[in-house]
Amino acid sequence: MKKPILLFLLVQLAYSQLWAQMPNDGLMMPSKNWCTMLQASDARWSEYWEGRELRSNDNLGTFINQSVLLMSNYGINDNLNVMFALPWVRTEASASYLSGQQGIQDLSLWLKWQFLKRKFGNHTLSLQTTGGVSSPLTNYPADFQPFSIGMQSRTASLRAIVHFSLANGLYATAQGGHSWRAKVEIDREAYLYDNELIYDNQALVPNVVDATFRLGYLSKKIQAEAWFDYNSCLSGDDIRYNDMPLLTNYMQRSAAGAMLKYWIGPFAVSVGGNQVLAGRNMGKARTLQAAIFYQFELKNTKN
Amino acid sequence: MQMNSLFRALPVLLLCLSLVQCDKTPEQVENPPYPETRLDENAGTWKTYILQNPTEVPLAAPTDPTSAEYLAELDAVAALQQNLSGAQQEAIQYWGENGVLRWHEIARELAALYNAPPKNNAEGTYPNPDPNNPTSFPRFPFANPPYASRAFALLAVAQYDALVATWHYKFTHNRKAPYQYNNQRINPMLPQSDLPSYPSEDAVVAAASRELLKFLFPGEKEYLDGRATEHKNSRLWAGSNVQSDLDAGEALGVAIAQKIIAYAKTDGMGQANAQANFPNLKADAAARGFTTQWTSRDLPARPPMLPFFGNVKMWNMTVADKVAVRPAAPPLPGSAAFEADYKEMLDLAKNRSREQFRIAAFWADGPGTYTPPGHWNRKGEELIRRARWNEIRTARAMALLNTAMEDAGISCWDTKYYYLTQRPSEVDSDITTSTGIPNFPGYTSGHSTFSAAGAEVLSYLFPEESSTLKAWAKEASDSRVYGCIHFRIDCSKGLEAGEKIGAFAVARGRQDGSE
Repeated sequence: MKKPILLFLLVQLAYSQLWAQMPNDGLMMPSKNWCTMLQASDARWSEYWEGRELRSNDNLGTFINQSVLLMSNYGINDNLNVMFALPWVRTEASASYLSGQQGIQDLSLWLKWQFLKRKFGNHTLSLQTTGGVSSPLTNYPADFQPFSIGMQSRTASLRAIVHFSLANGLYATAQGGHSWRAKVEIDREAYLYDNELIYDNQALVPNVVDATFRLGYLSKKIQAEAWFDYNSCLSGDDIRYNDMPLLTNYMQRSAAGAMLKYWIGPFAVSVGGNQVLAGRNMGKARTLQAAIFYQFELKNTKN
Repeated sequence: MQMNSLFRALPVLLLCLSLVQCDKTPEQVENPPYPETRLDENAGTWKTYILQNPTEVPLAAPTDPTSAEYLAELDAVAALQQNLSGAQQEAIQYWGENGVLRWHEIARELAALYNAPPKNNAEGTYPNPDPNNPTSFPRFPFANPPYASRAFALLAVAQYDALVATWHYKFTHNRKAPYQYNNQRINPMLPQSDLPSYPSEDAVVAAASRELLKFLFPGEKEYLDGRATEHKNSRLWAGSNVQSDLDAGEALGVAIAQKIIAYAKTDGMGQANAQANFPNLKADAAARGFTTQWTSRDLPARPPMLPFFGNVKMWNMTVADKVAVRPAAPPLPGSAAFEADYKEMLDLAKNRSREQFRIAAFWADGPGTYTPPGHWNRKGEELIRRARWNEIRTARAMALLNTAMEDAGISCWDTKYYYLTQRPSEVDSDITTSTGIPNFPGYTSGHSTFSAAGAEVLSYLFPEESSTLKAWAKEASDSRVYGCIHFRIDCSKGLEAGEKIGAFAVARGRQDGSE
């Protein structure tokens, strides 16, 4: 289902659907199992919210954010997973003379702990929590939104997940999280924040809360899921009149998406997509994704 | 049980961590007040810009320090000082540092806030900001670099001329600060000074700055009134002035500001945006052989920014001087020199380094910023603060710097619309940029011209910083090459012209009586 929402809002659109054993879904990787995923995403928008006002911009045309995400998840045991994600991102705008950007973005690491699993007849309730950190791996420019490939902010996140599955394979998941984002050094000595001129090269990046609700079906061969996601900054300012977005902006969005995943032996393929429905200081993006997975079990050689 | 404790602990933990959120508002750097390093007793004789002489605006003599009226004023100050709030004490420190620079900070903030090009409407045209309706979008003014350079210059000239007159009257009347007459009851909250306090230099600066900025940013009248009132009152709270010092300063500041505003109303800015006459400029440039002309990079095409700003009246130069510093024609497309510049652009667009990107962003000073002249004002202010200059020397420095930069803007705009050359991305759309392309012709670079003129004046004022300042100007100029905003020739010729323009202000400075 979802992506490392924790990373940040714009790029998150590019890889917002991973399924199975993600930091914010309700599934766990079994003990000693290792799953690696390679996902390609294409997110594009031709309208965006300047503050709360939805507009287009002839100087941008269609904005495109494409990414390739390498992600891996390992089951330390049935109740504790460790995972990482590393995206490569490229951006461009169809009508702009501004240089598109590309490069390796931020490395994310998570620990996911299932601290309760209880059977009710054939149904199962499980509760999990995920903690994660992320850090930029390259010195890409951050103060060049929306073209920047990321926000250059170090982050930490914490989330709680409730997962309920029926014996017939249907399930529902609800999760909520909070991400803390460190301030970012930008390439200039002053910037406007909320109509005040700040004499500093440190841009404050707002913290974020997010919540997701999923309904799905899971069998040995197939996973299908539909989801609704909301996330919002907890502070920040609006994009200024007719200006570029800034790291300090109050970004907010809700989106709906779906995905389908099919297993063939140790491999799986998935396709998915999502649409931003409402937002603030963000693009109204539609994202398409495809991924391949490979999962295997590490044999215990120590008896 | 394990899960129960976790259920309790998790929300608490999340709540605690949420509190970390609270400090997500930026903090401003403050500068502490410093003592006066010199009195500049003869500053009343320094050469002014608009005022004919320092007594052009008459000022009545103050009451005698032994008079009942004055003693009552001292009592009033002493009473005010009894119960100073935290906000009042902060205001004393804030305004007590250097009022001239504080008002330039306010001007820079307004310039940044109003530096927003109008959004196109559904028909693909752009509405003009309306001076009679300045607070609705697109707000008036659009504080683009020419507008900002003129705003900063008018503000600096008003402050300087008003302070020259102030210094004249101060040393004519020689009435001291309140704490010099009653140091038992008046508590000096700021570094003490022997500078006569009638009229108050702070009230003069507050009044003159407020009036100029109201004229330039008519949507901010209420805000500016509030700032000026606080500035003046802070002098009472600090024990630095009595009310009649302030009242005299207010009257003097307003009267001199009105003279500067009268000048500004006839300096040619009113005709700078005469779009109907733009075709004449195009025809003239074509007649000079420049037939491949600049067009707007904005979509939909935006009318060129202030095509007749080059005709605005200059501070330190005559029209003949302007023609003399106008750079020679740039190489035409097809020439070897042009092709070399073109290849450099293509290469940079493909292989721009992170450091080149940083430099381009650092000096870009585009929409939502205080523009390149604002950037150089800030550099100048850092040097002035370090040197702990008093108000009159500060005002002189800011006037020299900002008149030079407005002259640089005027000269550069004259050149731009004289040749009407293209931006690199017009020549080849593969030349993508790392920052926005301003909406006017390429040759010569405004950043280069502003920066060289600014660096020239600041090098005169702070000779020990000259090599650093010149290196900054070069970097600011190079930044436009790195960003692919300008061909190399636009920048190198802009730098050369800027230096010459700055030299006119320096020549004035050498002869203004302050040395």
